[in-house]
Amino acid sequence: MDNIFSIKDLDLYYGNFQALKSISLDIDRNKVTALIGPSGCGKSTFLRCLNRMNDLIENCKIEGKIQYSQMDIQTKSFNVIELRTKVGMVFQKPNPFPMSIYDNVAYGPRCSGIKKKSELDVIVEKALKRAALYEEVSSRLKDNALGLSGGQQQRLCIARAIAMEPDVILMDEPTSALDPIATLKIEELINDLKRNYTIVIVTHNMQQAARISDKTAFFLMGELIEIDSTDKIFTQPKNKKTEDYITGRFG
Amino acid sequence: MEKTLECFKRILGKSKKENIDILIRGIFGISALISASVIIIIIIFITIKGVTPFISYNQGLGQVNIFRFLTGRVWLDGAAFSSSLYGVGFIIINTVYIALLSLMISMPIGVLTALFIAKVAPQRLSIFLRTVVELLSAIPSIVYGLFGSGVILVLVYNFAELVGIQSKGGNSVIATVLVLSLMSLPTITAISEVAIRSVGKDIELGSLALGATKTQTNFKVVLASAKSGIFASAILGVGRALGEATAVSLVAGNSKSGPSLGLFDITSTLTSTMLEGLKETTGLDYDIRFSVGIVLMIVILLTNIILNYVKRKVGSVSVK
Ligand SMILES: Nc1ncnc2c1ncn2[C@@H]1O[C@H](COP(=O)(O)OP(=O)(O)OP(=O)(O)O)[C@@H](O)[C@H]1O
Ligand SMILES: [Mg+2]
Repeated sequence: MDNIFSIKDLDLYYGNFQALKSISLDIDRNKVTALIGPSGCGKSTFLRCLNRMNDLIENCKIEGKIQYSQMDIQTKSFNVIELRTKVGMVFQKPNPFPMSIYDNVAYGPRCSGIKKKSELDVIVEKALKRAALYEEVSSRLKDNALGLSGGQQQRLCIARAIAMEPDVILMDEPTSALDPIATLKIEELINDLKRNYTIVIVTHNMQQAARISDKTAFFLMGELIEIDSTDKIFTQPKNKKTEDYITGRFG
Repeated sequence: MEKTLECFKRILGKSKKENIDILIRGIFGISALISASVIIIIIIFITIKGVTPFISYNQGLGQVNIFRFLTGRVWLDGAAFSSSLYGVGFIIINTVYIALLSLMISMPIGVLTALFIAKVAPQRLSIFLRTVVELLSAIPSIVYGLFGSGVILVLVYNFAELVGIQSKGGNSVIATVLVLSLMSLPTITAISEVAIRSVGKDIELGSLALGATKTQTNFKVVLASAKSGIFASAILGVGRALGEATAVSLVAGNSKSGPSLGLFDITSTLTSTMLEGLKETTGLDYDIRFSVGIVLMIVILLTNIILNYVKRKVGSVSVK
């Protein structure tokens, strides 16, 4: 089994506040890993470590080792821009750019230097198809993306990430702003995507974690309590705290 | 008995609230009426005064021909007080030309400054710059005019001499454009900055997470998201350029014919024409300035309508 990410003794501080405490875990390639845990336990913080989005937060300090494909990504000389093209991110609230659907998907490739229209056309179509959005929008690629429904916007954001041909897609509660039907669509999409991508998803929804993930990691107050195959976590967790949480006894 | 009392109280309470509501609505109404009527009175006054030259015989000078007036390439054919052959066609062109040129200078500089203040500069510097911009926009236009005639005219004159062009003491299209650009710069910067600053953080993060650089994010996403506010700043900038009289008349050179398209030609705008010699004249030569005023109001109105139309188009259509 090969790991795409390997994290060792990760500590993260916001100023004096320690948000992650000595986290060590591996993330399997081409699998879906779910991060669960009560609000404020550091799931989003951990996720942001994987594409170094925490760089953008002032007075955020990181210690420890994060390896992506055997490369140390915490070193100063590591190319963050390239990392982010390989490790895409989908946010909790759909955040399409206020431009056309086409331009949204073509944005990343354009930024990394692809100019040819014919090339972009292929990329956009492929990404939209993979994000299961193409059929709904093929006739209005030039329309403003803000005119799409919330669920469509979120799939557009996934398409936007896919257009970069990443290895990993990080998703921070991607369905929490969506209705059940749109949520179902995204879940189906994630099931499709895991053949080609590694997915790390934060979710507050236990059923969702159980439905879509291969592995589940349980966080509590900045600590990783337990990580195991999803089946194990939900049927026979090793730790009492995990059991309490998934059975809804606290959190 | 108690029930009726309760009921009575409630009606009384309610009607008291309603009374206050009516009173306040009345006060609002009256204030609105006052400001509306002031505007209407001004418009009526200017219209009556401004239409007079075209319908009266102007103490024997004869009616001003409106078509000739609107298309004329000479301000006054003949001597003052002995001719009614006025024309402002070239001045309309001068005015719009100058407004557009100054926008071409002030927009890029203003928007880039705004972007720098809102997104690039370290916090202290950006607070400092924001204060400077606020102060600059509070400076009265006469000060810009004095700066123009004391500094810009000299610079323009020297530059023109250097390249071998005769300029009338620096009074020129370019001097006017520079003064107006300087004047509208703070407004454009301040309003664009607010628009840029209010672009959602999530959109910015979305761009950065795709591997875009900060610069790419600023230019391709942040500016694109703020475009409607930036456009509003352009509209105000044009308004300032079209409406400014004092500063312009100090550096324009007040040409009497045209249009003046060469950058070092002297020029005149609708406002500078209205202002020039206003206190020393009477009769038709005085009234005709009100006609120019009407033309100015129409030019401003049309520009606003066009720009707002473009703004709505730009706001809804995708940008590349
Ligand atoms: N930018 C920041 N500055 C300071 N503290 C922060 C910052 N972001 C998060 N924190 C703190 O770090 C802790 C972990 O936050 P994080 O957002 O990672 O939690 P989470 O598990 O994602 O919670 P939720 O489920 O509510 O999204 C919280 O206590 C939070 O207050
Ligand atoms: Mg979170």
